[in-house]
Amino acid sequence: MTQQTRDEVDGLLPHDEFRAVGDAIVGNIEQVIEGKTATVQLALAVLLAEGHLLIEDVPGVGKTKLAKALARSIDCSVRRIQFTPDLLPSDVTGVSVYNQETHDFEFRPGAVFANLVVGDEINRASPKTQSALLECMEERQVTVDGVTYPLQTPFMVVATQNPIEMEGTYPLPEAQRDRFTARIAMGYPDAGAELAMLDGHGATDPLESLRPVSDASTVSRLITHVRQIHVADAVKRYAVELVTATREAPDLRLGASPRATLQLLRTARAVAALEGRDYVLPDDLQVLAVPVLAHRIIPTADAHLARRTTDTIVSDLVHRLPLPLPQERRRSSYDTRPATNKGRAPYEPRRA
Amino acid sequence: MISHRNLGLVAAAATLLAAAPLSAIFDRWTWLVQSTIAVAVVAAVAALARLGRAPRWGQVLAMLGGLLLALTWLFPSGAELLGVVPTPATIGHFGALAEASLADMRTYRVKVPDTDPMLFLTVLGIGGVAVLVDLMAVGLRRPALAGLPMLAIYSVPVAIYVDSVPPLPFVIGAAGYLWLLAADNVDRVRRFGRRFTGDGRGVDVWEASPLAAAGRRLAAVGVAVAVLLPLAVPGLSGDLLDRLGSGTGEGTGGAGRGTTGQVDLFSALQGQLNQGEVTDLVKVTTNAPSPSYLRFGTADQLRGDGFRARSPSGATVNREFSPTVPDREGITRARYQATVEVTEGFDMPLLPVYAEPVQFTLNGRWSYDTNQQVLFSNRERSPGKRYEFEYVQSTYSPTALRQARPLPAEHSLRRQTATPTVPAVEALVDELTQGHHTEYDKVRAIYDHFATENGFGYALSTEGGTSGQEIVDFLTNKVGFCQQYAAAMAWLVRAADIPARVAFGFTTGNKSDGDAYVLTNRNLHAWTEVYFDGFGWVPFDATPAYGVSGAVRSDWAPDLDAEEEVTPGPSATAGPAGSGSGTNQNQVEEGLEEELSGQSSGTGTPTRPGSSWLWWAIGALALLMLLTAPALQRSTLRRRRSGRRMPSATSAGVSTGGMSSRDQHMVVLADADRARADAHAAWDELLDTLVDFRQRINRAETPRATASRLARDTFRADSAATSAVRLLGRAEELARYAPDPHPGEPLLPALRRVRAALVAESDRRTRLLAAVLPPSMLLRWRVAVADASARLVSSYGRLRAATLRWSPRRLLTDRDPR
Repeated sequence: MTQQTRDEVDGLLPHDEFRAVGDAIVGNIEQVIEGKTATVQLALAVLLAEGHLLIEDVPGVGKTKLAKALARSIDCSVRRIQFTPDLLPSDVTGVSVYNQETHDFEFRPGAVFANLVVGDEINRASPKTQSALLECMEERQVTVDGVTYPLQTPFMVVATQNPIEMEGTYPLPEAQRDRFTARIAMGYPDAGAELAMLDGHGATDPLESLRPVSDASTVSRLITHVRQIHVADAVKRYAVELVTATREAPDLRLGASPRATLQLLRTARAVAALEGRDYVLPDDLQVLAVPVLAHRIIPTADAHLARRTTDTIVSDLVHRLPLPLPQERRRSSYDTRPATNKGRAPYEPRRA
Repeated sequence: MISHRNLGLVAAAATLLAAAPLSAIFDRWTWLVQSTIAVAVVAAVAALARLGRAPRWGQVLAMLGGLLLALTWLFPSGAELLGVVPTPATIGHFGALAEASLADMRTYRVKVPDTDPMLFLTVLGIGGVAVLVDLMAVGLRRPALAGLPMLAIYSVPVAIYVDSVPPLPFVIGAAGYLWLLAADNVDRVRRFGRRFTGDGRGVDVWEASPLAAAGRRLAAVGVAVAVLLPLAVPGLSGDLLDRLGSGTGEGTGGAGRGTTGQVDLFSALQGQLNQGEVTDLVKVTTNAPSPSYLRFGTADQLRGDGFRARSPSGATVNREFSPTVPDREGITRARYQATVEVTEGFDMPLLPVYAEPVQFTLNGRWSYDTNQQVLFSNRERSPGKRYEFEYVQSTYSPTALRQARPLPAEHSLRRQTATPTVPAVEALVDELTQGHHTEYDKVRAIYDHFATENGFGYALSTEGGTSGQEIVDFLTNKVGFCQQYAAAMAWLVRAADIPARVAFGFTTGNKSDGDAYVLTNRNLHAWTEVYFDGFGWVPFDATPAYGVSGAVRSDWAPDLDAEEEVTPGPSATAGPAGSGSGTNQNQVEEGLEEELSGQSSGTGTPTRPGSSWLWWAIGALALLMLLTAPALQRSTLRRRRSGRRMPSATSAGVSTGGMSSRDQHMVVLADADRARADAHAAWDELLDTLVDFRQRINRAETPRATASRLARDTFRADSAATSAVRLLGRAEELARYAPDPHPGEPLLPALRRVRAALVAESDRRTRLLAAVLPPSMLLRWRVAVADASARLVSSYGRLRAATLRWSPRRLLTDRDPR
């Protein structure tokens, strides 16, 4: 049914209009979050790629603010869930209660029934509650008491978590992390942005005065447009090779999933569209590799001991992986690797 | 222990391979059989000693003992116990053999026949080397050191053949040494355990490892350089083509080995004669009123392409020789004296003498072969020799010669009547000798056949023919010089069952003062000698006299063209320059030219001034081409790339119009392919240019990233170049990833702009290198070579894997294939 909803949106946006809408949203958010254009754009790209966003950083850098600003910039329904240790799954998904008047059980939708769901401090909830998000994030539906309820379109979960303070938290399970399209870190603002923040936020919260610049139907059209972006075969090969490289990297115990490949390409499409292109570049994939892949992979114990974070491992891979060439010229003149049968090196190291 | 035994076997085999150069010394292969036995015994004893865990000195003693037993069995004195246990008498016998071998070394010249003393010395030497190699390779685990004793074997032929040692045995020996090194290293690797690939496949110990590729290449290159470098350096060992043509450098029977200043004793049936300048070779003074030809060699081995000399053998000259045939009626003998001075221009192990010398006054180790009637030495060379001798000059009357009877069937010279079967020749001989009953008449009939009236003429080169037989070609074309006449007549006479051979020497030459004659290279000559029973070897000179300066004719072989006017002297420019030769057995032309011009000057370097300049020029040209090849190829590539039509700005107007209408879409598609190709070409050219100018290339970098890196780092100050490189990056990016590849601007000027900016950025050395030796081209070649070698290695691996299936080891035993 989500498919139907999308098909109802007829016509394609010209690039200019797309870009204008995208710029408007980004500009709007930037009134609140200063000097973080790339992060904001990435967040928007994740929205347009029909993904979910995990914002992970130390406290006080504006994680929640970004989530809320994004929600406010789009005129759509927004729900906020503060994840606490005693939160129950039914608080998230909804619960059937008995209606005295109709003598029937009536479904009371939970917090996920909105276009944008902001999950604050998601790792503070118990795994039981965290798991409640699994179905809705991937399948965009909620099943309660045997009845399946579809979620709204567009639907996006923006979760925040704090990686430093681990006491009393429950780390996200693998399956849950894999459902997040991208994990971004806010990072500290630079001196100028912090000064501007002091001026802007000193008296009032600019979030209060933020007005929406777009609505859900526009976002749906944007999403449809993103799906039309051209992806060359070489780029697809590059995505596959990138993901394969994480599976074969000796530093990693667990590589990225096929879902990661899919979401990587989808986000790359959104990024390309936001930049006003109608085709995806390998550059997009390179930019997205760390946000999209780094939170899904698990380093080996050795790499962990060597303080190699997944971010550095992925960016190393990106820097080392040769670019695939177009089909007609498979072998570059600067490919100094010996030509081997079936592209397999004779003494390729095998991962344990 | 198994690996040690393997290594011991390899050491033994390597020793035998390293002994390959000795094949250049011995006439036959007996030495190899005996050496193999000795080496096998040594290896077996060593293996047994190691099996019994004998200490190292014990192994050496055991090997020496084994060698002693092998020698005792191979060279018995008759006093051994059970045939193999040596007694004091055996040791004494060995001492005698060793002494005799010294004498043999003085007596024989290469190639030596199989004599016990020589064989003993060889087997002893090789066996000793086998002991040393085994000790170093297996006992001390220093196989590299084992190369030294192997080198000692190789130095033996080097010491004997001063100028030319065949390269093939060296290659064999080197291969043996490399095998030993490889076996040792395989053994070392094996100690680490089994090798296997990442996917779990086991790797055979002998399978080529990419890690060792550099070592293999170095080994191959080392051997190739060792063999080719001496060939390629002129003046070090003859000339390039000369050596290549001569192959193993043997084959002239040891008389002449094709170096300058020598006369190759080969009478070819086909060839070409080039005459260089005139050089004095020999000065002879004799009291004979009309001296005959001075001769220094004979060739009596007939092959399809001519007559070839054998090694002479005979006793030293310090005794008096008597004429081989008794005096008889019809032979007029007169005893004369002659003094010969040889100049530097004539460099042979042979000395010229008149036929039938009886007494010599001569210093040095010279011997006289009474059969071939040549004066030779195994040690000394002719230049600068001065000697006197007495000789008998015989003249034969035709009447007396007619009394010569056919050779008895069992006569030893019978074998000198053998000829290759050529029907045309046999038919001709039958026709010529029909109706003649005496031997002499038959020979005369053949001799007369070569007369001018039969169409025979003198020329400095033969003409080619279609018969495939050089003799038939000559008899048909009837054109040639002395070699052909001498060889053809000898052949025909042999075909008539009369022994005949070709003699080499000098015509009488010009009288300088008194009785002295100065003989030059133009007096070099070849003629036929026919054996008549009871008369000995009688000379016949069938070459037309007008072609030979200083020709002498006799009663029994008169000048066939006597009535014609003969004008010898300077006008006879076509004077024969003698017997010339070809070092190449099959095709003698180049060899001849080389040989004769070599004689003409007598020294090595200034030979053939014209052609040596030509060679230098060709060499310089080749070097120049080699040096300019990368630059030329680079500019060709650049021209080809820029030769594509760069996309015009107008075609960019259709951008984003790809889906607007179907017709236009089709048009754009064809145009898009071209734009793509253009952008790829421009980008490739940009990358090559970057490599040429030592800029970094990163294969993990996208075109956009490359362009912005260049714009940021390299062209910081040059905005035009910055935009140009960005344009190129965008064009390539569009061509690779976008549905519509038109960048909207021409790329060629941008490319030029970037190149100009790079030139401006680089220092002088980089610019020079980029122009002369473009690194991109060199890299391309290197990659091509690496690819080829990788393909070779992998195909070898596949072959090995395929053959491994049929390995008897696998079939016989149940053990797992490694």
